[in-house]
Amino acid sequence: MSDTVLMPQLGETVTEGKILAWFKSVGDEIKEGDNLFEVETDKVTIEIQAVVSGRLNEIRVSAGDVAKVGAIVAVIGGESPAKAAPQPEAEQAAAPKAAPWRNPFEEVSTPKERYGPAKGPGDIRITPLARRLIAQNNVDILRLAAEVKQRGGSRVDERVVRSAMATSPPTSAHAPAPDAPRYASPPAPLSGQTITLNAVRLKTADRLAENWRTIPHVFQAIEVDFTAIDRVRRKCKRAFQEAHGFSLTYLPFIARATCLAILAFPQVNARFDGKSLSLSPTVNLGVAVDLSHNGLVVPVVRSAEDLTVAGLAKAMRRLIDKARTGKLGPDDLSGGTYSISNNGAFGTTFTAPIINAPQVAILSSDAIKLKPAIVSTAEGDFVVPRMIGVVGQSFDHRAFDGAYSAAFLSALKRILEERNWGDELAENS
Amino acid sequence: MASGSNPAVQSAPLSNDDIGLERRLELFRLQVEIRDCEKRAHDLFFQNLIKGTSHLSIGQEAIAAGFGVAMQKGDKSFCTYRGHAHTLARGASMEGLLGELMLRDVGLMRGKGGSMHLTSVEHDVYGSYAIIGAHLPIACGSAWRAQYLGEKDVSVVFFGDGTTNIGAFHEALNFAAVWKLPVIFVCENNLYMEYTPIGDVTAVKHPAADRAASYGLERILVDGNDADVVYRTAQVAIEKARRCEGPSLIECLTYRHSGHSRADPGKYRPPGELEEWLKRDPVIIYRQRLKDFGVTDDTITGIETESKRKVDAATATAKASPPAPVEILTTDVYADGGWAWRN
Amino acid sequence: MGVAELSYRDAVIRGIAQEMDRDNRVVFLGEDIGKAGGVFKSTVGLYEKFGPLRVRDTPISEQAILGAAMGAAMTGLRPIAEIMFSDFLAVCFDYVANEMSKLHYMTNGQLSCPVVIRTGNGGGARFGAQHSQSVENWTMMIPGVKVVAPSSPVDVIGLMAAAVRDPDPVVFHEHKSLYATKGEVPDGVIVDTLGTAKILRAGGDCTIVALALMVPRALEAAATLASEHGIDAEVIDVRSLVPLDTQTILGSVSKTGRLFTVEENPRLCGWGAEIASIVADEIFWDLDGPIVRITTPHIPLPAADHLEDLALPSAARIVDKVRRVLKA
Repeated sequence: MSDTVLMPQLGETVTEGKILAWFKSVGDEIKEGDNLFEVETDKVTIEIQAVVSGRLNEIRVSAGDVAKVGAIVAVIGGESPAKAAPQPEAEQAAAPKAAPWRNPFEEVSTPKERYGPAKGPGDIRITPLARRLIAQNNVDILRLAAEVKQRGGSRVDERVVRSAMATSPPTSAHAPAPDAPRYASPPAPLSGQTITLNAVRLKTADRLAENWRTIPHVFQAIEVDFTAIDRVRRKCKRAFQEAHGFSLTYLPFIARATCLAILAFPQVNARFDGKSLSLSPTVNLGVAVDLSHNGLVVPVVRSAEDLTVAGLAKAMRRLIDKARTGKLGPDDLSGGTYSISNNGAFGTTFTAPIINAPQVAILSSDAIKLKPAIVSTAEGDFVVPRMIGVVGQSFDHRAFDGAYSAAFLSALKRILEERNWGDELAENS
Repeated sequence: MASGSNPAVQSAPLSNDDIGLERRLELFRLQVEIRDCEKRAHDLFFQNLIKGTSHLSIGQEAIAAGFGVAMQKGDKSFCTYRGHAHTLARGASMEGLLGELMLRDVGLMRGKGGSMHLTSVEHDVYGSYAIIGAHLPIACGSAWRAQYLGEKDVSVVFFGDGTTNIGAFHEALNFAAVWKLPVIFVCENNLYMEYTPIGDVTAVKHPAADRAASYGLERILVDGNDADVVYRTAQVAIEKARRCEGPSLIECLTYRHSGHSRADPGKYRPPGELEEWLKRDPVIIYRQRLKDFGVTDDTITGIETESKRKVDAATATAKASPPAPVEILTTDVYADGGWAWRN
Repeated sequence: MGVAELSYRDAVIRGIAQEMDRDNRVVFLGEDIGKAGGVFKSTVGLYEKFGPLRVRDTPISEQAILGAAMGAAMTGLRPIAEIMFSDFLAVCFDYVANEMSKLHYMTNGQLSCPVVIRTGNGGGARFGAQHSQSVENWTMMIPGVKVVAPSSPVDVIGLMAAAVRDPDPVVFHEHKSLYATKGEVPDGVIVDTLGTAKILRAGGDCTIVALALMVPRALEAAATLASEHGIDAEVIDVRSLVPLDTQTILGSVSKTGRLFTVEENPRLCGWGAEIASIVADEIFWDLDGPIVRITTPHIPLPAADHLEDLALPSAARIVDKVRRVLKA
């Protein structure tokens, strides 16, 4: 970053000053407070100090020359800001020529930020300032909207947002953690601080709200017995770790089973445009990755249906690493046709995730743990400990209905419980 | 005005010549160069190298030349959008002129003004004005400045017959007469206000001369196609103004050979009218005048050849000049060179 | 340094005299400005002080007045031209819209036009529809001119000086109904800066931007809003429409989140519309409610006093509108 040195304001009615002398030369290292130049006006002669430190990169107004108050006389540090466009030769040298000013097509600068829709849940209206404050402070707009409606109001303005901020902490995003629990740090005591959304959160916040608002979500869940998978997993654990450098979790199995189930239920792997469902010929599987409670990204494994469990494990691992190190590219994030949100790390029972439009469904899996299950035998029904986890699906009810979704989940369950995972892993590790 | 020693002259018929050989050659040169340059402008327009609009003075050269020679450095001229002739007559370069018409960087205003606003302060051309009549009061202001500061320059303003019917004409004449300003109003009556015969829209026969009396001014009506006549008339008016004796209104009768502008072929003119006036072509008249005063054919041809060479050179320069850099889109809206309307 | 109370009209005289004293090139022309001291008595004494060569009465010829001012300016003088009623700018608008404003640009910088057109603007004096208009916006919309409209005597002097010293054409809108008002003016030479607005009252609940006659009314309204309605308004005197001090206005609205303009011009294309649009664009995300313009309705002005007073925004109307909008 560079800093421009301006001709300072030297008196109420003074409009320009003449630089008598420079005390520093181009290339000198300047410390804040150093005398930079001496300027003379019709009222006073005065020395001007630097207000930043850095290398004096450029002197734009030389000793002996006059510049208007506010004109750039020098540049300190970093790269010089873009030089003024070359001036045509002056026909008359009488008055000092003005530097080129704004881009003629940007006389008024439109802000680049976007802070969320003007209409909130329940058709409440949100002022622009309130929208910005809500976004920047991660305020729970759902709760706010509910409160406002309850009071019989229909508008959220600055006052409403600030009072909400004062009475409750910011919520976290709907972000599942697919891997081992990673606490960033022990929880801080209540501080009432303002947490500004980071770039990732900002980007996804709008999308999440839009998806939630426009897609009629229905959530269904089914209990799945992961005991067989668990057995295979434990058997292959060490070999897998040695071969690939990371541990084999449930997620690749779930991903594989999902791809297989999709073959029988292609409508869950489709795009909906309001009128028709475009079934995708391939499964580009989005995997939700939590960035240590700092946002959520959903990188995509392309053509996941062609990958084995091991292949899926490796692909997902690569994406997660990239996500955690901020190295995801646009190709990694685009083209998804179905997504999985894996939330088991914190022991939750089930999660109803938000669909990534234009997809029509998203799978969720939560904690898989030992639970009592009933096994029926010829000798009677017995209670046995089994590894049980709930697998759910949020789906767009416009695309298909509950029966179809339920059937898909049912098929998924069957694959997870009955497929010969041992063979699959043994064949290709 | 020596005669025998000058190789340009073959005999010595130059006694009693108030104008003199040097000025006559200048009058001829200017008319020829204006004619050639205007004809080139006409051709360039049809080659689509000159865009927009262009108002030519072909046939009206004597007025520009006559005043051009009579005016001194420092005398300020103001003309209309039909101003190419007046701009050249004050000494502006042909490539500056053609360049401006072609909207190139070498143009007098780098293409920012165009054909209708030719300005060259260096040559005392204080603007060409496209709004009919607007520059008459402006010329009065320049004259007021001279009067106030005691400066000796005069302001000469050229306009057409149509201008005599617009409000600003009458305001300016009254103003100049009441304040006795050193300004000379020159009406080039080419008989047509755009596409309409001037007689159809004017209450008096001679749109300027017949109105002079309304402003307490002398009626001056002259043959605008004889450069000598124009020159002498100009001299008288300029001297009068310099002596602080006030303004003059001069009507010069002339005719334009081409249409009002652009591709106007002038078909609204009655048959035979153009042909009659072509016989009174100012360049033809003056070539003969030179011969009457003993100038050799060689000298005359020399001037004509040189004129064509200059026009060709200027055309080449103008054609080779690029359009101005886009940065000048926003320069010089204000006197500081910028255009900032806000901070 | 002494301070005196001076009327707005005496400030006009002092401002012109200050500049004519300083620079011999400053000359002054207009109708009845010399011997008669001006129809509003706003130029009394100048003729006697500077003489008939520098202070010239003209015929009733608005086009000649502006045209001559332009010609004189182009060739070396610094003329001040009076157009008696700003409504008459329409009679000579060619010089504002087509000639003075475009000269420097079309000639590629060869010629410039340092003219000050001072004119009696605004209503409230019962002169009827053709002698009462607020036309600052007519002049604001032409690229190449500068436009100021002072609201107080000290600003009249300072902005007149700035306008005369400025090398570009400046339209100086004096307000007819402010001529009799008084204000404190320091002794000595006063020179202000074009393109600067002034925050006359600091506040946090809303920003009220006003011009000329509307400034004292906005201040009065702000006092009432504070004392009777608990609304703390920041009042800005725009002073200069071109160049426009957007930074002061944007800074204020960023802080308060609410903008009101008070404009004497009739509604459509009033100067406040431009400011509203800039604010709604550049600092959209600082707005906490709609931008509201308080203007004269879009009608010609009537002559009858009670009707004219009803039409122009009054302090009471400003209070009422701000209060209703903010409490909604």
